[in-house]
Amino acid sequence: MKYITTVKGQEYVIEIDHDDQIVVNGHPYNVDFQQLSEGGVLSLLINNRSLEALVEPRNDAWEVLIHGELYTVTVQDERAYRLARARGSGPAVTGEATIQSPMPGLIVAIPVSEGAAVRQGETVVILESMKMENELRSPREGVVKRVHATRGATVEKGQPLVTIGDAAAQT
Amino acid sequence: MSSDQLLSRKFDKLLVANRGEIAMRVIRACHELGIRTVAVYSDVDRHSPHVRYANEAYPIGPAPARESYLVIDKLLEVARRSGAEAIHPGYGFLAERAEFAQACHDAGLVFVGPSPQAIRVMGDKQMARQTVAAAGVPIVPGTPPGLNDDELLATADSIGYPILVKAAAGGGGKGMRMVYRRDELPGALAAARREALAAFGDGRVYLEKLITEGRHIEIQILADVRGHCVYLGERECTLQRRHQKLIEESPSFIVDNDLRQRMGAVAVAAAQSVNYVNAGTIEFLVDRDKNFYFLEMNTRVQVEHPVTELVTGVDIVKEQLRIARGRRLRYDQADIKLNGWAIECRINAEDPYNNFLPSTGVISTIRLPTGPGVRIETAVYPGYEVTPYYDSMISKLICYGETRAEAVLRLRRALEEYRIMGVKTNIPFHQHMMDSHRFLTGQFDTRFVEERFSMDDREATDDLEAAIFATLVAHRQGQQASQIVARGTRDMSNWKWIGRWERMRG
Repeated sequence: MKYITTVKGQEYVIEIDHDDQIVVNGHPYNVDFQQLSEGGVLSLLINNRSLEALVEPRNDAWEVLIHGELYTVTVQDERAYRLARARGSGPAVTGEATIQSPMPGLIVAIPVSEGAAVRQGETVVILESMKMENELRSPREGVVKRVHATRGATVEKGQPLVTIGDAAAQT
Repeated sequence: MSSDQLLSRKFDKLLVANRGEIAMRVIRACHELGIRTVAVYSDVDRHSPHVRYANEAYPIGPAPARESYLVIDKLLEVARRSGAEAIHPGYGFLAERAEFAQACHDAGLVFVGPSPQAIRVMGDKQMARQTVAAAGVPIVPGTPPGLNDDELLATADSIGYPILVKAAAGGGGKGMRMVYRRDELPGALAAARREALAAFGDGRVYLEKLITEGRHIEIQILADVRGHCVYLGERECTLQRRHQKLIEESPSFIVDNDLRQRMGAVAVAAAQSVNYVNAGTIEFLVDRDKNFYFLEMNTRVQVEHPVTELVTGVDIVKEQLRIARGRRLRYDQADIKLNGWAIECRINAEDPYNNFLPSTGVISTIRLPTGPGVRIETAVYPGYEVTPYYDSMISKLICYGETRAEAVLRLRRALEEYRIMGVKTNIPFHQHMMDSHRFLTGQFDTRFVEERFSMDDREATDDLEAAIFATLVAHRQGQQASQIVARGTRDMSNWKWIGRWERMRG
């Protein structure tokens, strides 16, 4: 089987045809992959280099914990990868970006209003959660198209708060 | 000693008015001393270990703390029903509320802590400053509370910028603002008042000169009911983010014996100025010329108490219980010696790569580091949900070494061993700090984390390995799924099989 695996925007072509050998971007590796009965622990020997990881599925991706760092990894077989490509779900830099509440909380302030120009990284919402004020920043430069929430409102995780769009695109 | 303000006598059953790791810490200390324990829990904490480790447990209401852990009447009612004779407040919640200590006293319960009067004085920043200053303790130049904005603006000019706006009833960085220029002050005052009013119901603020390149160093003290008081050395708590401590160590890189003795003597004087009893901490700001100024006194056990325990060998929580039972302190100052080095990392459910946003969710897997020199304080478990109701600290990882270098190397090793899934944690932040030249050479101040420390230059180098792991898991899962679908269906395509199965379900 051939897989296209993506980590931090970097694609790896990984072929798995035998239990003890894989080919990554054309380079063969000897592997011994063991799933321990103990709490989801995985042991991998790559050319005898020993690695331990935890791997769990989350939101159509895999979370992999190695050496204290958490990696989000998507794995697609060739067919799924081509289908996704055909549908044009590649990395889209244009289009509207909606900032969603990353957790339940209380809106302390929304320092921008509809129509305002924002820079990338500019604070657009201040959300209080876990007794802390958190600044939510704009992922892109553009114009505030829509403010979905109001100051003082309680919001749920995933609730849209502010939508940023292109300055030129009038709707 | 105003004995009418403080009850101390032998008790054999204690109610822990807290949750999380500190509840566990108190329960363990009690059980070592043969004291029976009573836990309280909110609706979401029924599965918490403090419920299981205590001898008895009682529900006290809904998840929001103001409807459970902060309701004095409910706690006193559980004490009455269970026959508890004493209450340990832990930290946070009601630990520094004088009316709670008073209510315990009025109900005939031993409060494991100082008198309500000492809590009241130290809990009011201004009263605390005045009281300790009168006892000869150096304080940072600043204003009294209750001034209006015009008066504050005028006084700010004479103190000089940069300046700190602080809430009179504040703590934990709430209602605190740094101001570098005069024109920023009115906005900062408004923001600080709003935050203080929301957090403490008291919008009074005051100004304090901002000591730049300052370090936050605190002295742990223990005092018995006879007024005997010792200090247990210092804790270096300079590494903070938005006034939340992240890493604490003992001893401090910059404190020598002479400075330790001077700070210790001043800390004892500050404690004695309010007839302090039990464990307490005096926080100081130390400038680069090693002048030190009183910041505040915390009238409770601190989150970071374990680093002091590891280098002094004193079990602070057990000493709290002994003191509350009316026992004489077993130590003289000469008995207190610092041995080795201890460093604590607070493991929080927050994403260090995304502006330290709190990460909520259910913890799916935990495997804790072990081995020489590693101590963990935690109360989370697989299935524990990190909610916005309580703070985001999920564990404390404390490492001990003969030297600071050994403690750092152990922390690196232990952080790498730490496995937690389901929520994002700040473990990569701690790993990055343990690799940082500035940390290793002890060159940092209270603004280091926010202003000169970035995760951007961290290279997590296991991308390829992560890709291989995920792909192998996905592959194995796909194979298993196809085997299940294919079993006994030789003459049938998988699509037909799925179609049949769907109809059966329907």
